[in-house]
Amino acid sequence: MHSTHHLRRLTAAVAVVAAVALSIAGCSTASSGGATKISLSMQNPNVKTADPATWAIVHAFEKKNPNITVTVTGQPVAQHLQNLSVAAQSHTLPDIFWIYKATAEQMNKSGYLMDLAPMLKDLGLTDKISSSTLDNFSTGKVTYGVPYQGLLTGIWYNEKILSDNGLTVPKTFDEFLHVAVTLHAKGITTLSDGANQSSFSVWSFLVDLDRYGWESKYQAILAGKASYDNPDFIRFYDSIAKLREAGAFPSNVTTQTYQQAVNEFTSGKAAMLDAGIWASSAIQDSTVAPDAGFWAGPTFSDGVGKQDIVMNVASAPFAVSADVKKDSAKSAAVKKFIAFYYSDAAQQLLVDNGQPPVTNYTPKLDATKQSVLKGALEASTAPGLTSPQTQPDLVVSTAVASAMYDSIYGVIEGQLTSKQAVDLVQKAIDAGK
Amino acid sequence: MVWLSSRWKIAIMAAPALIVFTALIVYPVIYSAGYSLTDFAGFGDPAFVGLKNYIDLGNDPFFWSSLRNTIIILVVSLVILVPGSFGLALLLRRRFPGGGALRALVFAPVIIAPILVGLIWVFILDPKIGLLDRLFGALGLPQPEWIGGNVLTPYSVALVFVWGSVGFAMTIFYAGLQQLPTDILEASSLDGASGWKQLLYITVPLMKESFAIATVLLITNVFKIFELVFVLTNGGPVHRSETLVSYMYFITFNNQQYGSGMALAVIITVLGAVVSLGYLLLLRGRKSA
Repeated sequence: MHSTHHLRRLTAAVAVVAAVALSIAGCSTASSGGATKISLSMQNPNVKTADPATWAIVHAFEKKNPNITVTVTGQPVAQHLQNLSVAAQSHTLPDIFWIYKATAEQMNKSGYLMDLAPMLKDLGLTDKISSSTLDNFSTGKVTYGVPYQGLLTGIWYNEKILSDNGLTVPKTFDEFLHVAVTLHAKGITTLSDGANQSSFSVWSFLVDLDRYGWESKYQAILAGKASYDNPDFIRFYDSIAKLREAGAFPSNVTTQTYQQAVNEFTSGKAAMLDAGIWASSAIQDSTVAPDAGFWAGPTFSDGVGKQDIVMNVASAPFAVSADVKKDSAKSAAVKKFIAFYYSDAAQQLLVDNGQPPVTNYTPKLDATKQSVLKGALEASTAPGLTSPQTQPDLVVSTAVASAMYDSIYGVIEGQLTSKQAVDLVQKAIDAGK
Repeated sequence: MVWLSSRWKIAIMAAPALIVFTALIVYPVIYSAGYSLTDFAGFGDPAFVGLKNYIDLGNDPFFWSSLRNTIIILVVSLVILVPGSFGLALLLRRRFPGGGALRALVFAPVIIAPILVGLIWVFILDPKIGLLDRLFGALGLPQPEWIGGNVLTPYSVALVFVWGSVGFAMTIFYAGLQQLPTDILEASSLDGASGWKQLLYITVPLMKESFAIATVLLITNVFKIFELVFVLTNGGPVHRSETLVSYMYFITFNNQQYGSGMALAVIITVLGAVVSLGYLLLLRGRKSA
């Protein structure tokens, strides 16, 4: 009896040790046996709710490839970048991850990223993704990133609020100013923005910066051959100051978050919202949907270069860890994921979740259920409209991008003059040299 | 007892704690100080830049405004918190119906996470949706920008910090008051000392240690304020309401300027240590005098 009891205990112990050993073995080589595991790390803490498009694509991919599991994780941007920094040094980077272009360039320089050019060529994706987008994420012949989502930004408007107050959708900056003065007199917010936890939410003003010649100037500015402190950019900041003086912004723009700014618009308390295509789902689900429209932004009589532009570019990219190459099964799984992400089926999933496609795919849109998105996509492809190559903050370091956001919100909040605003950005550029 | 009195045996007993302290506190501090002399940006090899990060901070107006805000919060907190929480402890020491419940109420904000404290106060202080401004508006009073402007924000942060910390400081004083020798107080009563004189000449001098502990802890807590600012204004407008720690977070993690961020971390550590040690030395000097 006693020896039987001992034998049972021994057998149980061996079974436990074996199970632990197997699970450890399973963890250490994600690709061994059964399913291959790949990881995807994103820049927001709740991918399922904050980025339903990516979530839907991952699930559709797993359904199509039952032998591949994608582990999706996410943190707020700053924490995400911090984690990547730590992971890079310990060679534990996620397999695929969202990253700022400037940071990706740094990582690529340090050898942390996989060159995706051969994979893209192999998969025939160079024909589907625009060459300007891929060039934007390439250094020489090395492609370190692929487009995550499209960045179609501008101003959402509520036509009913405008018409109820005897106004129409403005075209020029002077008309925009007139709208702001009229609505302010009636206690209505013209353009909803929110700086708290979201200093980057100045998308429409980044388009305006392009209307004052950013694209033709920035390379010289970053190379130290020209200055951000120039008369054209001073006039750009003056235009923001004029909007502030006209009472265009919410009185709590400093303490309001971007989400509260969206709520202000979707609850019909603001005539316009500074955002992008990603807000289309929230607007579609709100009561203002039938009256909502998308405007590329004002044209400026004192602007520089082409004024009929819309920001319709690739956002920050996805990058792949260089370590993926070391595991053939994982490498194959990542390749499959990338092939799927840019397939027509996945691009349609992007559209179904309020995002424009990032390939040349022509999406199918439900005119009723996706009226807001449809309107925005149509507005962005209106005849005569062209897009800059990229958004201004995506070609500079994070420190300079932060200074650009601060300079714009500084003028919106009445904390900085136009001269102080350009000085702030120039200082950040100089500090990075 | 005899076994423990040997010095090398005491050293052996203290060694595990010293090793943990060195590994988790001393080493990271030295490591950070090392990085503060580099241009580390999160990826790649850091290059030695000498004191550049410190010089850059010296030329950075936002560093000075965050230092100014931290000092404002420190002064306002110390001026209100130390006497206020001591007074509360004196009041709550007395036995009266509901005294226990009142003590618990005063202590309650301490157990709320600072991030939630910030969230609660956003709904009170916000210039548009805040309770206070609505109240002022209804009463026809001017509606100042409690948060979000560049004048009142640090004072508002200080007051929220006071609200969140008063229970903590009060508890230190309350515990100190419980330890006071009653015979001295009774003797002074028999000698005809009034309550005010007892407080001034007996209670306060005997509570010196409690004052020192409460003050040093409050100083170090002020130098660690982050969540309140993060939630209330996130340092805005344009970094005008940053504290040293929130600005360090911004530089390090938003801007990914780890070298500069570590330089600021070193400055915060040194400042916190100097102010705390200075206060303790001042107390010791008074004691010996």
